[in-house]
Amino acid sequence: MKKRILVVDDEEGLRLLYKEELEDEGWEVDLAASGEESLEKLEKDSIDLVLLDIKMPGMDGVEVLRRVKEKWKDLPVILCTAYPHYKHDFGTWASDAYITKSSDLTELKQTIKEILGKKQ
Amino acid sequence: MKAVVSMEYDIIEKVNEVAAAGGSLEDRLERAARLFAEEFHFDQCLFFLAGSGGALKLAAASSGLCTTGVLCYGKGEGLPAVAMEKGGLVEAQKEPGRAEWEGVPDPGLEGVSTALVYPLGGGGSFSGVVYLKARERTSLSPARKDLLKVASLQAALMIRNAVLLEDHRRAHAELLAMQEKLASSEKLLALGDMAATMAHEIRNPLLSLGGYAARLKRQLPSGSPGLVYIEKMSQEIGRIEKIMNGIIRFLNDNLAELKTDDLNCIVDEALDIFADEFSAHGIAVERRSVHAPLTVLADREQMKIAFDNIIANAIQSMEKGGALKVVTSRSGDFAVAEVSDTGGGIDPEHIGYIFNPFFTTKKHGTGLGLPIANSIITRHRGGIEVRNEGRGASFTIRLPYSGAASVSSDLLPAEAGRVV
Ligand SMILES: Nc1ncnc2c1ncn2[C@@H]1O[C@H](COP(=O)(O)OP(=O)(O)OP(=O)(O)O)[C@@H](O)[C@H]1O
Ligand SMILES: [Mg+2]
Repeated sequence: MKKRILVVDDEEGLRLLYKEELEDEGWEVDLAASGEESLEKLEKDSIDLVLLDIKMPGMDGVEVLRRVKEKWKDLPVILCTAYPHYKHDFGTWASDAYITKSSDLTELKQTIKEILGKKQ
Repeated sequence: MKAVVSMEYDIIEKVNEVAAAGGSLEDRLERAARLFAEEFHFDQCLFFLAGSGGALKLAAASSGLCTTGVLCYGKGEGLPAVAMEKGGLVEAQKEPGRAEWEGVPDPGLEGVSTALVYPLGGGGSFSGVVYLKARERTSLSPARKDLLKVASLQAALMIRNAVLLEDHRRAHAELLAMQEKLASSEKLLALGDMAATMAHEIRNPLLSLGGYAARLKRQLPSGSPGLVYIEKMSQEIGRIEKIMNGIIRFLNDNLAELKTDDLNCIVDEALDIFADEFSAHGIAVERRSVHAPLTVLADREQMKIAFDNIIANAIQSMEKGGALKVVTSRSGDFAVAEVSDTGGGIDPEHIGYIFNPFFTTKKHGTGLGLPIANSIITRHRGGIEVRNEGRGASFTIRLPYSGAASVSSDLLPAEAGRVV
C-alpha cells in the first residue's frame, strides 16, 4: 500500500511543489494550509508521516508537533525550518527529523525514505 | 605714590583685556608676552607651558631676542626648574665669566645679563613659567616685583581657563559623537529587523521558484534549448537562497545556548566535516593541541558554523593543494585556536574589509562567511584576528577560557573583527 504524507505549510506554492515532487516518488500526499487544518485531517484520514513547517500564522509548527505527539505517539513528524543548523526551540526535540527548507528537495526525500523504511 | 598705583592698575587692566579677548591661547599669550616685556622693561618675555612628563614647552615669545636654542626645558632643567622648585620668583644676574645661573646651566641665556623667572599658578601646581630676559643688567623694585606676581597670576588664570575650555569642548565633541553613534546603532537595529522580515518573506516564494525550476528542468526533453535557461535560473535562485540563508543566520542573535564545551572537540568536529574536501584538493591537515581540554562556554552548533566558514575559506584559497594548520592552545584567560593556510594570503588592500558583510572577491561568494563567524565569536565574548603569515592567511580565534572562573552567560552584541 502507498504511504500517505501530510504536508503542512501556509505557503501555497510550496504545498503544491511538495505534492508534485513527493507524488513523483510514489507517495500519496495530503495538504493542510494551517496547524488547525492539519489536526482535522489527522483525525479523519490515516497518515503515515507529517511534514510540518515551523513558522505559520495561527497555531505554529511547534504547537502542532506537541498535539500530534500527545495523540499519535508513533506518527513520525519532520520539522521544516528557515534556520540552517539551529534547533529553534526546545519544543522541537520531539520531532523525528529536522530539515532546513531548501529548493533542493533531495535531503527531504532521503529523510522521508529513511523514516518510512524504519517503520516497516 | 598716586602715580605708581595708577600705573599698576594700568598693567593689570591690560593683562585683563588680553585674557578676556577671544582667539587662541597662543595668540593671547603672545600679546601678554609683548605686554610683559614692555611694561617691565625687559628685552624679551617668553611663556613656557608644562607638557607631558614635566617638560616645559615654549608657548609664546615676544620678539626682541633670538629665541632659538631653547624651545623646551626637560624636567628639572634650567632656571624654570629652579623657579618651580622654589614656588616663587627667581632673579638671576650673570656672573662675569661663568656659564651657570643660580647654580644651573641654562642655554637659553646666551647674551643675556639679567633673567627673571616666575612660576605660573599656585598651591604647588604650576602650569608653566613666565620668563623675562634683558641684555643689560637691570633689576625690579620690590613694588614692581609684586606687580609681576599679580600679572603672572592673571596669566596663569587665563591659561587655566583656556585648558578647561578645551577640555569642555573635547568632552562635548565626544558626547556628540557618541550620540551620533547611538542613533546610528538604533537605525541599524531597525534595519536588522526589517532585513530579517524581508529575508523570511523572500525565502518561501524563492523556494517555490527554485523547486519548480528543478521540476521543469527534469520535464524538458534533453537537447531542448530551454534547458540552458532553466539551468541558469536554478543557479541564480540558488545564489539568492544562499545569501538569504546567510542573512537569516547573521541576524539570528538570540539562538545561542551556551554550554560548557571543549574547544578542541568543536574544532575537531568542524574539521571532520571537510575530510572529503581536504583529500579532494590535496590539502594536508596538521592538527596540534597544546592543552586539553580547553574549557569554554559555547553554543556548539554556532561555534562550528564560525569554524566552518573559516575553514571553507582556507580550502577555497588552496584548491590546488596546500597545508592547513590548526593549533589550539591556552593563553592566559583565553582558549585560542589558530587556523593557518598556505593559500597565498589576503591582498593587503582588502584585509581591512573582509569582515564587512557582502565583501567578497569570489565569483560565487556571498561575503557573509567571515561576518557570520565574527558575530558568533564576539557574541561568545571572544575575538577574531587575521594576518598574512608565511605563505597564506592566519586567523586567530580567542574565546574566554572558563575552566576556572565562571563567566556570565549573557551574550554580547556583535562587534567588528580585527585586522592585525
Ligand atoms: N583564508 C583566506 N585566504 C585568502 N583570502 C581569504 C581567506 N579568507 C577570507 N578571504 C578573503 O575574504 C573575503 C571574504 O570572505 P567571506 O568568507 O566573508 O566571504 P566569501 O568567502 O567571499 O563568500 P562565502 O563565504 O559566501 O563563500 C573572501 O572573498 C576572500 O577574498
Ligand atoms: Mg567564505
